[in-house]
Amino acid sequence: MTEWYHFPEMGVWLGFAALGFAILFNVPQRALPFIWLLGALGGITKLLVLHFGGNIILASLAGATLVGFLSIPAAHSKHAPPLVFSIPAVIPMVPGAFAYRMMLGLIKLAGNTGTESYSDVLNSAVSNGLKTLFILLSLAAGVAIPMLITRKESAKEIKIVKSK
Amino acid sequence: MEKVNTRTKELASTLLEIGALLMSSGASTGRIRVTISRIAEALGYTSELLVTHRALMLTLVEEESQNFFSSLKRTSPHGVNFKVVSGISRMSWRVVEEEWDLPQINAEIERLRSLPHYPRLVILLLVSLAGASFCRLFGGEAIEMGVAFTATFAGLYVRQESAKHAFNGYMCVFFGSLTASLISGASVKWGLGTDPELAFATSVLFLIPGVPLINSFTDLIDGNIMNGLVRGANGMIISFAIALGMLGAMLIYNI
Repeated sequence: MTEWYHFPEMGVWLGFAALGFAILFNVPQRALPFIWLLGALGGITKLLVLHFGGNIILASLAGATLVGFLSIPAAHSKHAPPLVFSIPAVIPMVPGAFAYRMMLGLIKLAGNTGTESYSDVLNSAVSNGLKTLFILLSLAAGVAIPMLITRKESAKEIKIVKSK
Repeated sequence: MEKVNTRTKELASTLLEIGALLMSSGASTGRIRVTISRIAEALGYTSELLVTHRALMLTLVEEESQNFFSSLKRTSPHGVNFKVVSGISRMSWRVVEEEWDLPQINAEIERLRSLPHYPRLVILLLVSLAGASFCRLFGGEAIEMGVAFTATFAGLYVRQESAKHAFNGYMCVFFGSLTASLISGASVKWGLGTDPELAFATSVLFLIPGVPLINSFTDLIDGNIMNGLVRGANGMIISFAIALGMLGAMLIYNI
């Protein structure tokens, strides 16, 4: 049974994970608090969807979509393009663990011919690779959704509150 | 035959400079194209652009005479820098709204180029904190988090140093991954904490090629299939270098 404080606590760590990448990518200082917040909220969304039985791909899409939508007002208030907020915020959701398991699997396959474990290793490498691929696709799609549905070339043209 | 304006040539070189900066700082192909045509249009030109990972080609057409000028530029080695991406995006709007001229644009590019990175210690500490956070997210306790912190710190330090010595970019990632997994692998070898495997798996996460991979899919969705594939291949090779570093540590410790 998960305690109620589990999700806020994870949010704090998710925020720091996003912040570390933001520093690595040399994000302008004024954007840092928002990135922390977006990373936390997006990650919590993903964890909640997982908690209620959604699969990891759907969960990542939900988290990334939230980050994508929140990055528009953040971009307006801090005068920076939305990707400056959204990319560091979704990086904690990038399936690093799956990608590396796929790579280790491929390396094992290269050195391992004809034994009975071959098909097991092949199965897990392919499954991890496909998960990586689809999670990445859903992250990029989620972040891009606000731009795709408003059909604008720049976030600056998106009006949050309709004027008149 | 009448000659192309000198102004056209100067603008072309400035625009290519902007494009090359954006490409090496981690902007998507669509963003590069939109930014350059926005600035060109504000200064009274029509522009056509060919964007690839390692080179850009630009044709500027003067609106009155319909003379055109084409030019090609290589992009510099890639290093993600969102201060530049954000600064150039802001500048492109000020060019439109405040009617900036070419010297002003050049001065602004020069300013953006010289903007400092965060202090090295701040980068090292916060990225290590991110490594410890990842470990916590996967269920690690204090000891595993400490191991992940130390391993990330050392790995990032080695990666930065090898980048300074101008090693091949993938080699830098390999060295970083090997260092981090040698440190976190030691905790697995000696059974430090309840689940040292967690520290081992999360200590290399600071190397994951997030920007190339996300940009790859952004480009694919945008229809820039070629650039998307190239960026994806780049991300794959980086992941391979990470896995190779971990494999090296696993072979050394025999775990």
